[in-house]
Amino acid sequence: MKEKVLSIPTPFGAPLVLYKNTWGKSDHSETLAIVSGLHGDHLNGMHLSSRLSQFLDNIVEGSDANYTLNGQVIIFPVVNLNAIQSGSRLWPYDGMDMDLAFPGNPAGETTEALASAVLKHTVNADWGIILQSALPHYEDAPHIQTLKMDGSIKKLARDLKIETVRKLQPSPQVNLSSHWQDMVSVTLSSGSPRTLNLPQCESLFQGIVNFMQAEGILKDRRKTKSDKNFPTRFYQPENEVTVLADTAGMFLHEVKVGTLIQEGQTIGEIRDLYSGKRLEEITAPADGFLVTLRQYPIVYEKESLATILTTKKSWWDIF
Amino acid sequence: MLSKCIFSVKAPAGPPVEIIRHTFSPSQSAKPTQRVSLVTGLHGDELEGLYICHRLIETLKKLEEQNAVKGEVHIYPAVNPQALETGTRLWPFFSTDINRTFGEKNTRSLVTEASRTLLEDLKSNSDLVVDFHASNLHLMELPQIRIIKNFEKKLVPLAKLCNVDLIWVHPHAEIFESTLGYNLNQAKVPTLVIESGICLRIHKNYCEQIVLGILNLLHQTEAVDCGEFLAEVAPARIVQPDQVTMVQAQNAGLFVKQTEVGQILKEGEKIGDLIGPDQMPEDIRSPCSGLLFTLREHPLTGKGAPLARIATSIEP
Repeated sequence: MKEKVLSIPTPFGAPLVLYKNTWGKSDHSETLAIVSGLHGDHLNGMHLSSRLSQFLDNIVEGSDANYTLNGQVIIFPVVNLNAIQSGSRLWPYDGMDMDLAFPGNPAGETTEALASAVLKHTVNADWGIILQSALPHYEDAPHIQTLKMDGSIKKLARDLKIETVRKLQPSPQVNLSSHWQDMVSVTLSSGSPRTLNLPQCESLFQGIVNFMQAEGILKDRRKTKSDKNFPTRFYQPENEVTVLADTAGMFLHEVKVGTLIQEGQTIGEIRDLYSGKRLEEITAPADGFLVTLRQYPIVYEKESLATILTTKKSWWDIF
Repeated sequence: MLSKCIFSVKAPAGPPVEIIRHTFSPSQSAKPTQRVSLVTGLHGDELEGLYICHRLIETLKKLEEQNAVKGEVHIYPAVNPQALETGTRLWPFFSTDINRTFGEKNTRSLVTEASRTLLEDLKSNSDLVVDFHASNLHLMELPQIRIIKNFEKKLVPLAKLCNVDLIWVHPHAEIFESTLGYNLNQAKVPTLVIESGICLRIHKNYCEQIVLGILNLLHQTEAVDCGEFLAEVAPARIVQPDQVTMVQAQNAGLFVKQTEVGQILKEGEKIGDLIGPDQMPEDIRSPCSGLLFTLREHPLTGKGAPLARIATSIEP
């Protein structure tokens, strides 16, 4: 259950303590690691982790007789403790992006020590899921981000009941995901920073439960089978179209993230802050799935307003 | 001097966000011999580079009038303008460290657009680049050049010309792969990263020392002909990874320094006090003899935080 992983002294008060939640034994067949709260304002992931923790506690304590735990689950619900306490994405003291602190250093400063501890306790898992929200100022439709697109990832996506899987380009930025490449791991991105979307969290919760059933980590005694025929679309980096602002002002959007849009469809408009006049109409340059949409309305020229995953080169999973 | 805006975006209110390149070049139509670029302000709270560029621009204007500019010298004095205007390390609107975005292809944002444009402009216009940094809010640094081991052979001879106290050759780490310096060196544009002083302050003596070093670099690489007015630059200590000892805090607390960077310490000499949560001061002493080239300035200290770095090779 809740286990102290690291205690770091602070200059003036009680120590900072990193906890992980664990259910099941490591000698069981499969281990799933879930990490959320790498950024202090990614609330969906933290809520989803706490929801899963409550669910797994009930199973282990025997108050949910429908399920049996056959594998091991490790969850770090909150990692960037100082950022969470500051109510901000990053910890203002060091301004460091926690996700870029991996692999960390056990003898290093607070952020490095936290990163090192999380990696040490998760790197030997069979499966890994990082829960995050969109970048600041944006909203993401629930989707999977992955550095590789092989059969294991496709099966994982299907079992998680996530429709959209987006392969990322190799990046010079090294993060937790880069250090999880020896296991089957993905990043599950959904919603906006500083916002809690409970229906979205519930849908993702059901997906993770379905995945645990499909992999035998969890057994449903009611003999219900996991849903294995969930339709999933896979997108390569070259399938992505970014819609940029040609001017600056206030962006008002007319579409919802997570919907299919058509070429020429109005995404929104940019208005001048002084006159209120419309400066630019933003239209979709291609048919596709709107995976990311600007939420914070004040925009600079050349900023990304929307990301569309085009359907032309994508393929539907036929399994 | 010719000034060109290499990156401009309209802002929702207020002036546009612009990156400017100033260029000094020969008055004749002769093809320039060497193209050197000087970059500063990637982090908006590091102000020493701005002052160094101001001093260099003053001198280069005079040299240009005397037809002493033989190559091209490009100065990019403020490459993260919004952060500089706000006095913050990160690009304020996005809380992004621009020096962790070079080479990034997945995220299209204003910051990655700026870093991509800057990188391409530098690649197109430079045979040699110097990227100026001050330290963060926590540490004071003696003027030094840091070189990743893989680039040592090419960069150390150039670094020796720059009048820094120390050339620190250190191992490669993945975290450097999204920096400007690494990306330029990978693209075969030799790039020196100078670290000096501390953020939000100008240490005038360090700046003058580096101005002299950069003029010497420009002179020795034949980008400019400084004639005979240059003073001789001091030889730098070249330090390999195993010749650097870092002193880290073993507890959290308030660090009160008792020395200054640039001192030659003896083993056991006191560096400062660390006052822990129990109010008991702990003596922080040097574990070795050598040149103190990094010292903690920010008193608030977490466990594992660097307090000092000492170069055990003290002979230049």
